[in-house]
Amino acid sequence: MSHTPEVLTLFIINILLICFATVAFFLSVRIVKKYDPKSSTSLQYKLQKESYLTSVIIKFLFFIKIPLFLFFIFTLDKLSELITGAMCAAGVVDATGYGNYLFVLKILNLYLFALWLLLHERQSSQEEPPYFKEQYLFFIFLYLVLIAEFVLEIFMFEAIELDAIVDCCGTLYSNATTSYIGAIFRINTPLLLSFFYANVLLLLFAYRYKKSFVFSLGSLLFLVIALVSLIAFFGTYIYEMPTHHCPFCFLQKEYYYIGYILYILLFYATFHGIAGFFVQERKRAFKAIIAVVLYTAIVSGYVLSYYLRNGVWL
Amino acid sequence: MIHLKNVSKSFMTGKKESIEVLHSIDLQIKEGELVILRGASGSGKSTILSLIAALAKPTSGDVIIDEKNIAKISDDFAALYRGENIGFIFQKYNLLHNLSVEQNIMLPLIPMNLPLELVQQKIQNVMEMFHIEHKKETLCAKLSGGEQQRVAIARATVNDPKIILADEPTANLDKKLSLHFIEMLKELKSLHKTIVVATHDPLFFGLDFVDKEIIIDDGNIQI
Amino acid sequence: MSAKINFYLLEFALGALARQRSKTVFISVVLSLLIALLSSFFFIANSIKHELLQTLDTLPEITLQKLQGGKHTNIETSAIDSILLIHGVEDANARVWGYYYFGQAQSTFVLIGLDPFEEHYTKTMQQVVQKYDFMQESRQLVVGQGVKDILKSYYYTEEFNFIKPDGGIVTLPLSGVFNSEIELESNDMMVVSKESAREIFAIADDMATDIVIQVANPQEVATVASKLQLLFPDARVITKEAIQISYKNIIDYKSGVFLTLFIVSLFTFFMIIYDKLSGLSSEEKREVGILKALGWKVELILKEKFYEAFIISCISYILGVGIALFYVYILQAPLLRSVFEGYSKLRSSFELPFVLDLQTLSLIFFLSVPIYVAATIVPAWRAAIQDADEVIR
Repeated sequence: MSHTPEVLTLFIINILLICFATVAFFLSVRIVKKYDPKSSTSLQYKLQKESYLTSVIIKFLFFIKIPLFLFFIFTLDKLSELITGAMCAAGVVDATGYGNYLFVLKILNLYLFALWLLLHERQSSQEEPPYFKEQYLFFIFLYLVLIAEFVLEIFMFEAIELDAIVDCCGTLYSNATTSYIGAIFRINTPLLLSFFYANVLLLLFAYRYKKSFVFSLGSLLFLVIALVSLIAFFGTYIYEMPTHHCPFCFLQKEYYYIGYILYILLFYATFHGIAGFFVQERKRAFKAIIAVVLYTAIVSGYVLSYYLRNGVWL
Repeated sequence: MIHLKNVSKSFMTGKKESIEVLHSIDLQIKEGELVILRGASGSGKSTILSLIAALAKPTSGDVIIDEKNIAKISDDFAALYRGENIGFIFQKYNLLHNLSVEQNIMLPLIPMNLPLELVQQKIQNVMEMFHIEHKKETLCAKLSGGEQQRVAIARATVNDPKIILADEPTANLDKKLSLHFIEMLKELKSLHKTIVVATHDPLFFGLDFVDKEIIIDDGNIQI
Repeated sequence: MSAKINFYLLEFALGALARQRSKTVFISVVLSLLIALLSSFFFIANSIKHELLQTLDTLPEITLQKLQGGKHTNIETSAIDSILLIHGVEDANARVWGYYYFGQAQSTFVLIGLDPFEEHYTKTMQQVVQKYDFMQESRQLVVGQGVKDILKSYYYTEEFNFIKPDGGIVTLPLSGVFNSEIELESNDMMVVSKESAREIFAIADDMATDIVIQVANPQEVATVASKLQLLFPDARVITKEAIQISYKNIIDYKSGVFLTLFIVSLFTFFMIIYDKLSGLSSEEKREVGILKALGWKVELILKEKFYEAFIISCISYILGVGIALFYVYILQAPLLRSVFEGYSKLRSSFELPFVLDLQTLSLIFFLSVPIYVAATIVPAWRAAIQDADEVIR
């Protein structure tokens, strides 16, 4: 049990979000059950008005979830000071069986919420939105995922024992582990790098020649490849240590919080890229491609800078 | 350009009672026309203006503006439609009293989020046209009746609407100011807008620059 | 549309706040004060944590205490021999110290026995050893400034009488005062020679209060600690890290309690705000109706209300934090400090060091701004869905 003020704050804000999400949930259920675009009774009118409340709540949820997620990582970092053995958030995430799932779920939720908002915007700009009901059905699904995240988060924080020694990222993310993470390091590095840069080129070409499906698929692929290559290769250049593969340590002050920038760029790039599948928009693809280029530039920059300063590769 | 087709409008006066204000009326106004809706208070002329401005929905029938039926559009699109196409001069002006002249005039432009120079230019133009520029920083609460009216007109035209609607514009004015308003009507006509004025003020009757007079009596049209 | 900032709207929102002066001021003041209260608490907690951790940093890596019946008892100094054999142990020393209760002042002092030949861990101790030659004259008493003041008020200016467990008296001349950078130390610490300490507490020559162990490599501490535990099953092995963690936990626990109380008051505030904003004045209804008539969509009106809420809460946040900084670090937080300090009377007079970090600031931010904005959601919506046709009547 760990009740630091940070954890309590997370809990409090989460409760707040869940309360509002529940309101939106009930409103969405009503809309899905009773909305009829053809009729114009006072009930429909009322539902219309309620839909404004629902969408405003969902916007609020999303815009709070983003900084809250960063704060969540901050909290994990701070907890790592209290847990013996953990040197960064990685140790905390791994301390319980829930941590990894929670993390993935949180990220997934961010993508889903962003997607909902995107779709909603498209619907709102049309006089007779074709998927008015469906978007609220989508939210009902989102709500359930949100509850799952909330419950998981409670379990995780309750399960953390400050006295139990956990593995540090050095152990978790080393070449020696037998888990799936270890498998990442057995990938041939030149091969991995060529996949990475090939993916970037693919995205550039898809953008240039306006192949939106390829672009979306490429973005999804990029999410995976970028993460893997970050852990396996680029991260080591940020740490300037060939064995340091932790995806969390570079979120800390010593590395100028570069981790936040990289992950935000990655999220931004892949979200807009993947969203292109649903909503074809040149501007959106542009945002995505800029973020991809920036991300690639930064990670490559670390590698090059090391080489230039030391004359050798790691 | 404006076509009310078989429009009826009822209002709820209690839980179950309603009163029908317009009875299956049919009305057409061409683009660029200046039309006077004549009728006594309560005859339904204000309601017709509301319908044209999509501030109210007809109980039955269609309201077709520029070939688009606005009778059933959602609240939000009604607002969008108004912002782009309608300039409304209300009977009570409906200015925000704690805002200055300039701030009041700017209100219809805020949703459009246009570049700053354009916004400033539009505001400047209408202020000059209706001779209210010298008071641009003054709070509307401190203006005289006539000045408030000019601000109301300026605000109604700043977004360059196709249709201008005026509801009993001279109801609270003395003769001098009423005549002044009629002068400004002429100016508005010169801008080639479609103008509809609902009034029972005899000053408006038989004016040479008016294209059509429609008489409303108890919810029915008499031509 | 939703993510772009409409500066005209922002200006309008600012104007709207200025126009509803009394409401805006009321909310800002209350919110700022609440935030100031919250921030003060966190700042004090942080400062104390910082101060304590600095003290703790001077502790030895491992402290070995013998337990009997679960309670602390004196340990044999012979244990040192086996300890030194453990791989990784750099040094091990027997400490003689204890708490001396000064009945007249009802205060408890920490009495430390110094051996001039041994390594001394804290800067203060090193100072004392340098300044006061315990080798030459073993019968000395050096105290912290706070202690000196207390002794003085009971007329002990030249010397002090310690009462032994058997009732006998040990008189030591008051040699001088030491100054510590860490005020907690100087306020309740007395330093004597080891022999004197043994005498005062009646600890035999072959016994000690505890044994402190220095480990060369900090990474090895855990390993050495576990070996020690195996060697001395009846002992308590305390690592510096463990102490640091438990202190952090105590402070966090207190913060947690406070936070819970705070949330209650915030919730009350939330309700008041909701209530106050829910009641739509006819003026407000009219305004919304006019705006809609002029082409404002519901979303835009909601956005404007959000701007208002965000502006008020951010300004209150900045003000609140500012007030707290002033209260805690300039006024030194009268009243609130006592929540944290439960020890003896002496411990309450040190200066709170300035500690400000991003995490605390973001913590405070999350506990104020989103909550306030959330409180305005439903009232704002109620206002925004007003029908525009009322405006015509």
